[in-house]
Amino acid sequence: MSLSRRGFITGTGAAIAALSMKDAFASTGLDWHAGYKTAPAEGFGPTQLKRLHGRLPRELKGRLYRNGPAQFQYGDDLLEHWFDGDGMVHAISFEDGAAVHTGRFVQTPKRVFEQKHGAFMAPGFGSGGHPDFPVASADDTNAANTSILVQNNNVYALWEAGSAYAIDPVSLETLGPKTWSDELAGMPFLAHPKVSPDGRVWNLAVGGSKVGIYNIAPSGEVSDFGMIDLGFAPYIHDFAMTKNHVLILAQPWMMTRSRPPFVNSLGWKPEESFKVFVVSKADMKVVRVSELPAFSFFHTGDAYEESDGTIRFDVGTYKDPEFGMQGEADVIAGRYTPMGQDRGAKLAMAVLPPSGPGRLEQLPIGAEFLRTDDRFQGVKKRHTWAVDTAERAHAPGAQRLNHYDWGSERLASHNYGSHHIIEEHVFVPRPGSSKEGDGWMIGTTLNMAAGATEVHVLDALNLNAGPIVSYRAPYAWPLGFHSAWAGA
Amino acid sequence: MFRSTLISLATVASALTFASPAALAEDAGKTSLTLTIDTISKEQGTLMIGLFKGEEGYTSDDAVGGLSPVVEGDTVTVTFSDLEPGEYGIKMYHDANDDGKMNTNPFGMPTEAFAFSNNAPARFGPPSWNAAKFTVSADATEHTISLYK
Repeated sequence: MSLSRRGFITGTGAAIAALSMKDAFASTGLDWHAGYKTAPAEGFGPTQLKRLHGRLPRELKGRLYRNGPAQFQYGDDLLEHWFDGDGMVHAISFEDGAAVHTGRFVQTPKRVFEQKHGAFMAPGFGSGGHPDFPVASADDTNAANTSILVQNNNVYALWEAGSAYAIDPVSLETLGPKTWSDELAGMPFLAHPKVSPDGRVWNLAVGGSKVGIYNIAPSGEVSDFGMIDLGFAPYIHDFAMTKNHVLILAQPWMMTRSRPPFVNSLGWKPEESFKVFVVSKADMKVVRVSELPAFSFFHTGDAYEESDGTIRFDVGTYKDPEFGMQGEADVIAGRYTPMGQDRGAKLAMAVLPPSGPGRLEQLPIGAEFLRTDDRFQGVKKRHTWAVDTAERAHAPGAQRLNHYDWGSERLASHNYGSHHIIEEHVFVPRPGSSKEGDGWMIGTTLNMAAGATEVHVLDALNLNAGPIVSYRAPYAWPLGFHSAWAGA
Repeated sequence: MFRSTLISLATVASALTFASPAALAEDAGKTSLTLTIDTISKEQGTLMIGLFKGEEGYTSDDAVGGLSPVVEGDTVTVTFSDLEPGEYGIKMYHDANDDGKMNTNPFGMPTEAFAFSNNAPARFGPPSWNAAKFTVSADATEHTISLYK
């Protein structure tokens, strides 16, 4: 294990971790560590959740799928970076007033190999890897841990540097890597595909300076695949899309050297601008490159274009990529130190005029895991929901869900309280309604006081009223990343 | 992740520029290698098998023998004859669509199966000579490679 920091964490880190855990308990009595505890290898459930209050709207039927790292430890060996933990897909099925939770690890080659050896061995975003780990292609290190795509009753667990993984929609058993076409076998499939109102899936494949663009028909067939060479290799986690254009968002956090693990290859160059490559969906050609002041980001909301050609997209901006560089290694090791209130992501609207430099309209609103009403992808819209990023002294994560109305410029929010760590909430449209925002936000929280994971349903346009209905599991499952809704 | 280190195992394909099959009668002191390739999940196309003698031949992709058997089942057995005893290595791929080349995706990653002697795993490229080498003795030698593991 001399390749990495792991040796250090395993040795001295464990002792320090034990001490700081005691301190955290003593001050609040709230234990956040359950959010970073390895899930049972066999998974969870199916488990009926306990209804805490309220009633499930009768017309709300379907499944909330979530994905996130769920293997944090093998013995004393700790995961080096949150982004590298084996993915566990969760489904919370809603029907007839009940909510049922199931969780299963995605059985990737990485997962199977490391389980067999009882150790972290694959190289990754922030993990150095072991020389005995065989790597013939990026998919050998695929953690399938980041997000979910639901298309045509197919469910995929997404990573960003390898193939999507097909998952059985009900049992959550792993079906295998998805090959969209023979020519594109093994191509990376970014964790943030966009589904346009016509049902097409658009997504990126990122490999160094080269970016591939998928245009996938509702049937699942690849209609088109474009290739762009950016000339440099920025870290790309998400992108944005208007009706006519794909926006490749090139932040000035880019590969400056080759030094494993991947994150150590990236250098932050704030003196350079943030470049937006505007690509025509019709012919996959770059039509212009717009520049914005430097910022870092993981997630966008949505993009649209105005009649004069101005493009706007909302985004959660960071001053620098410190969060991604750290990877919560301390938190996984049981230590939590706030980064500082100005370090979390803030909501902004990026404005790209038809020519000349763009501008960033920054708002003082914490915003990560941005979500919108997907039915209006690429179309001018009013509503963005996001997890606030205001820090607490006693626990990592956040406790407030925000809704920003770009039309009225008003902020609404629900504060779950200091004993919760909240996760991404996803918009679910009300069946039969075509009005933007008419529906619910559904999401999970770790209730630290109860030591259990909860699922909440809120009225999307009335967050201030709090959850309509809440359920609690008889256990906590690990905190994760992204989610998707599949209506019944 | 592999943005910087996408391996180009496609080079294996170009390495398989085979020596012409030596169909001559076996000379004294020469031996043979019977090679079995199993776990072939796509029962179609052609296997492209390159045999390399010694470290120099293996690392410089200078083949001493090449065979291209048609795949008609999940197992293929071929024999290299007229070999000098010694250390050898094998690089092979499955030309499943019979287009005469090892297909790759737009990032240069192989989309057809490949394998090496000893089932030596790739790690950001073909395995080292030490991992792939095996001995062909004066007596007839048998070796098995599992193509789809």
